[in-house]
Amino acid sequence: MITLGLLEKNTFLEAVNKKSGANVLECYQCGKCVSTCPVSSYMDFPPREIMQMIKLGLKEESYMANSMWFCLTCSACSGRCPREIDIPAVMEAIRHLAIEENYRSENKKVKDIRKFHDIFLDMIKRYGRNYELRMMAEFNIRTRNLFKDMHLAPKALLKGKIPIGHESTKSAKAIQRMFKLAGKLEKEKR
Amino acid sequence: MARVGVFVCYCGANIADFIDVPAVVEEAKKIKEVKISVLYKYMCSDPGQGMIRDAIVQNRLTSVVVAACSPRMHEKTFRKALSDAGMNPYMLEVANIREHSSWVHQKDKKAATEKANDLIRMAIAKSIANEQLHEISVPVTKRALVIGGGIAGIQAALDIADARIPVTLVEKSPSIGGRMAQLDETFPTLDCSQCILTPKMVDVASHPYIELIPYSEVIELDGYVGNYKAKIKKKASYVDFSSCTGCGACTQKCPVKVPNEFNMNIDKRKAIYTPFPQAVPNKPVIDATHCTMLLKGKCGICAKVCEKGSINFKMVDEVIEREVGAVVIATGYDLWDPKPYEEYGVGRYKDIITSLEFERMVSASGPTNGVPIRPSDGKVPKNVVFIKCIGSRDEAKGIEYCSKICCMYTAKHAILLHHKVHDSHAYIFYMDIRAAGKGYEEFVKRAQVETAATYLRGRVSKIYKKGDKLMVRGEDAQIGQVVEVEADLVVLATAVIAPKDNPSLARLLGVSYDKYGYMSEAHPKLRPVETAKAGIFLAGCTQAPKDIPDTVAQASACAAKVCGLFAGDTLKKDPMVSTINNEFCSGCQNCVKVCPYQAIVTEEIPLGHGSKELRTVAKINEGVCQGCGSCVAICRSMAINLAGFTDPQIINEIVAI
Repeated sequence: MITLGLLEKNTFLEAVNKKSGANVLECYQCGKCVSTCPVSSYMDFPPREIMQMIKLGLKEESYMANSMWFCLTCSACSGRCPREIDIPAVMEAIRHLAIEENYRSENKKVKDIRKFHDIFLDMIKRYGRNYELRMMAEFNIRTRNLFKDMHLAPKALLKGKIPIGHESTKSAKAIQRMFKLAGKLEKEKR
Repeated sequence: MARVGVFVCYCGANIADFIDVPAVVEEAKKIKEVKISVLYKYMCSDPGQGMIRDAIVQNRLTSVVVAACSPRMHEKTFRKALSDAGMNPYMLEVANIREHSSWVHQKDKKAATEKANDLIRMAIAKSIANEQLHEISVPVTKRALVIGGGIAGIQAALDIADARIPVTLVEKSPSIGGRMAQLDETFPTLDCSQCILTPKMVDVASHPYIELIPYSEVIELDGYVGNYKAKIKKKASYVDFSSCTGCGACTQKCPVKVPNEFNMNIDKRKAIYTPFPQAVPNKPVIDATHCTMLLKGKCGICAKVCEKGSINFKMVDEVIEREVGAVVIATGYDLWDPKPYEEYGVGRYKDIITSLEFERMVSASGPTNGVPIRPSDGKVPKNVVFIKCIGSRDEAKGIEYCSKICCMYTAKHAILLHHKVHDSHAYIFYMDIRAAGKGYEEFVKRAQVETAATYLRGRVSKIYKKGDKLMVRGEDAQIGQVVEVEADLVVLATAVIAPKDNPSLARLLGVSYDKYGYMSEAHPKLRPVETAKAGIFLAGCTQAPKDIPDTVAQASACAAKVCGLFAGDTLKKDPMVSTINNEFCSGCQNCVKVCPYQAIVTEEIPLGHGSKELRTVAKINEGVCQGCGSCVAICRSMAINLAGFTDPQIINEIVAI
């Protein structure tokens, strides 16, 4: 059971609206996003419910949901939304807010997804672009699933789908500077 | 010798597929009076009618039989064709071979054809005995009676009066204005209700063609379309309106305080009172059930302070009569009492109020000067829960239908709450949001987005008290979880119901009403403004729940109907009415009893030629008679004759089968 008090200032709603640039209040709960979303069946709260939860100010429930981590940001939902709400931006906003406010889901899948994001960003930081083989290896190690998808490796390698080494980019240095600057800005903000 | 023409219609495939129409045509030719028998695809079409016109002239016909659809459909069409050809239109007979044969006997073509033959033979036989009839002209009294002075009655009266037709407007309460006068602002534009209504109220009072009779009721209506006679009871107001200036000294000094029904009993009024400051007429009346002078003979302060001497404690009810040609019923609506919602604690918890109470509170001229308060402690509420469908769509406790206006006024209330109390929040429990109307959906969006009202989809299961808060429990079906809202104030959107006096008024006027007490229209789609009784029309919520735009539109439609009725000096009526043959009438008065239209009265005539002794016979008012034939069937002495359905005609029909 959820108890609702005075929503005179729905700070959660305000934070989400500010970060996403969307207005969640516009949502009239038609559910078109849910039936459009290719992964909604894997989410514990499909996009429509997340929108209502934001409206009700259910911060914790929203942060602990797996929905925003499963969201592919494919924008099929917002493309079809009759109220033209940028739903992927809302999902993104909740992802950011959850990290900023240190909410960590203990759900194995969410943890893996978050690790995937971390490793991916790490690759970009190091090489200026993705180094697929290393990324795969690191992901398998960090998720303690060493032989995941290993049976596909020989075929993929032979066909040249996965380059053995990494190709460096000209702007790798510039990207590293961007990361540094972003880190500094974030610290200042705190 | 009679010369009959028979015209058989294919009705496309409707008749021709199931009846052997060429055979039917040939069969009719066998009757010796039939001079022409023809077939056509659509007899009702222009060429079809032309065929009839030509045949009448060429064959010098004396009567016409059309074998086609129901006479309800095209009898008028074919009658017109007859009169266009110079023939009396009542020489037409319609054999209904569609509804009575082809449609109901689709599986047996042979039997259907035989039945068609029978029906046509009967029509031919009847038409031979037809007599020439002429439309009856009934004089019209060009004055309309409007019952009810809410926005519906006001609009109807103004529109009729603007066409220079005198109107008598009868209002039950001391002032016109009705429910709309109680409203603060109106959806979807948030116009101030009083601001748009009061100019119309003043127009009514000052219009040269409107006679406003406030504080009175219609108690009797006799007569028929164009010629009604209404008895109106003017309730004793104990104030002489002609000399009263409306200064208000009496209401100030009156020591008796009683709950103010205009403000939903939130505050008090005096025993001598005007319902609200903008009342029309702005004259006070004395509430006889509370005035101590009238009850115990003590006090009389109002009479002492009145400079004009307008107070008259000896005033009694007065009955006046008005002759009118048409009546508009505009009695409005009542609100359902939510007492059966015991699980909500209605009656136990003071902070549960109805929407109209909330409306009066947020009204700038209301009992709380426009600020909503908690009745329990007078504090301004922050968290307000609105619950829709209280009594509406609830077969167990209330009524089955949707009250239509609650979705919109609840959205309005959420917006108004936010206007009046900035740091408040509105929760709305709803089952559906029904916002069908111009600008309505946009208005609901405004409540949801701009006002940020929280819409929770579900019916509230219970309300209980926790401290000074009311805990409102219901499901939010959007997230599939039970939610509890801590409410300072709960507002119930109670159902719109028919006024409790509607059934008695309907019986008095002779119109029908439905199981909820709403007045019934003549046809739900094509005659939504008329009642089944000619000359009586419906405006506003007296027929069904309606919002203000719909009510005003229907009121104007009533005015158009009344103006149409009064356009000529007389009304035309079908001549199929009964007449009494005084020689045979024994005066048993059985016909008086069976007549459903009260069209038969009695009269005294001399017993014999030149005799001074009198005897009683029945007399039929042909203006009221609808030609149903009940009197003909009950008459023992066969003294009654119904034009168009005379004994020879009926006997001919029977013989022809």
